[in-house]
Amino acid sequence: MKQLAARTLYTAVVLILSSVAVFYAIRLSGGDVTAARLPASASAEQREAFKEQLGLNDPIYEQYFNYIGRVLSGDLGTSLTNNAQISDLLFTHGRNSLILGAAAFILVFAIGIPLGMLASLRRNSWWDGGIMTFSVAGMAVPNFWLALLAVWLFASVLGWFPSAGCCSPRQLFLPAVVLAMEGIALTVRMTRSAMLENLNLDFVRTLRAGGLAEGSVIGRHVFRNALVPIVSLAGLRIGQIVGYALVVETIFGWPGLGQVLVNAVLRRDYPVAQFFSLVLVTIVLLGNWLADVGYTVVNPRLRKA
Amino acid sequence: MTSDQETGPRLEAWNERLAEYEAARHMGAFRSALRRMRYNKLLLIGVALAVLVLAAGILGPVISGVDHTLQSFRDTHLPPGSPGHLLGTDHLGRDIAVRLFIGIRVSLLVAAGVTALSLIMGLLLGMFGGYLGGWRDRTIRGVVDFVWGFPLILVAVLLAGGLGGGLFPVILAVGLVNTAAIARVVRGEVLALSEREFIEAARAGGLSTPRIMFKHLFPNILAPALVLASYYVAVAIIAEAALSFIGLGAQPPTPSLGGMVSDGRNFLQQNHWESTLPGLTIMLLVLAVSLIGDGLRDVFDPRLRHEAKGVEAE
Repeated sequence: MKQLAARTLYTAVVLILSSVAVFYAIRLSGGDVTAARLPASASAEQREAFKEQLGLNDPIYEQYFNYIGRVLSGDLGTSLTNNAQISDLLFTHGRNSLILGAAAFILVFAIGIPLGMLASLRRNSWWDGGIMTFSVAGMAVPNFWLALLAVWLFASVLGWFPSAGCCSPRQLFLPAVVLAMEGIALTVRMTRSAMLENLNLDFVRTLRAGGLAEGSVIGRHVFRNALVPIVSLAGLRIGQIVGYALVVETIFGWPGLGQVLVNAVLRRDYPVAQFFSLVLVTIVLLGNWLADVGYTVVNPRLRKA
Repeated sequence: MTSDQETGPRLEAWNERLAEYEAARHMGAFRSALRRMRYNKLLLIGVALAVLVLAAGILGPVISGVDHTLQSFRDTHLPPGSPGHLLGTDHLGRDIAVRLFIGIRVSLLVAAGVTALSLIMGLLLGMFGGYLGGWRDRTIRGVVDFVWGFPLILVAVLLAGGLGGGLFPVILAVGLVNTAAIARVVRGEVLALSEREFIEAARAGGLSTPRIMFKHLFPNILAPALVLASYYVAVAIIAEAALSFIGLGAQPPTPSLGGMVSDGRNFLQQNHWESTLPGLTIMLLVLAVSLIGDGLRDVFDPRLRHEAKGVEAE
């Protein structure tokens, strides 16, 4: 319990520190912010007045506290490029990202765990070789490249799925698979090694010697033990998915949080970039925290400490 | 389960290790590593691939003599094998082969920058933290874990957002995250080494802390750090390509492999080579670097190799 409280406190501190870091990082861009809104012909005075109006001339720490205060009171501000309410962006794009992220998250385990089990039970067979090759390839192939191959093969050549767009199940399929690929590859490896580790333990020999059916030994005992590290570390996959979503959403034109952030960064739309950076950082930290919690809960040694 | 059955192969393994140890003592660790390197096929293939790609990157533009920024609106979307354009042209009529060569240069430049930055910073941070301990260790570990907790692409996008695109933010961002990876491992190695007799002897002998760190610890962690760094070269190449792909890496007209994949994706249906050729080049680069990384691990860390063998033989 003490361990958990410490991790929670740590996460809170990291969250505050990273919000400061994000704020400063976004401010590093300096004078360019006016380019997002004012025409190139705008005079220096106009630019200065615009910056004054946005409060960009105040000391950064003051801007930071003002900003956090406004966010906490629900005033998220507007985009510099198209005047859209950031709160609207958060809800529409957040929902889309949630759909894509959840689909990828489910795929990671729904595909990764069975494949890993199969590889471990048919050890050193063609199945094992094939699955492990797939797993190595899944980790080595850059996912934007995989995305392009998928678009080329399944959208252009075969025409089975649309190449971009949101949010029908058919449109969801390709981006979700690409987003999940590295997680699947990792889960396959983890499942396989956890299964093998448990299969070699004494208690399995005892169960078999006691005459328990093989399906029962595997399903009720080995598998359940092997699942522990995989499920408890599931939170880490959230961070991974958030990171890759930045690239995958851009490729597939999926209007989610990652796409909003990348576009805002490219267009120097600092209020949007700032807010969605904070959102994504918070999600990643929550995922890491969940993994900490999961790991502590299943590991009695840490629980007692 | 008699013990005789086990002594055969075990004894052999021990003898092999002893011979290796003796050889290392006589030849120096690096020369014995070099000797082992010759017998490592993966490493050889990796090096051969890397030399090929490097040669293409360095010599390609010189030999072909074509300007990579030269546009020609009469010769757009030429297929590979067209006269004068070995690999065809892109949507602006620029020669794809020359752009690939320059793209390789950019990739390798970023990879070199990232590796230099992360290796130096990672070694220093890991060594200081691990050896000095106390509040210094806690501070360094806090910072390192802080960076390590975030996905690479997110950190890079944030930094690129602040610094405004281009190759420098990419090198800085990827370098920072890789620094965290290397510092974590180096710290672990240093902690283990600090317990060993030779470090204790150096301390008892009254050597100064910097001297122990740089004369006695450093040579012992250099090899594992180098092996690790070679892994992260692949990470750097992929990250640069991904960032250039979404428009945050190399800025036009500098060609980058990721940027070329992105340019070509609008023409995927008719002229897929504009995207697939740079994509293949990225894969080739990553493959070469990963093979070298695997090979170096086998050569410099025989302990791991024995473990790997043990698992297979099981």
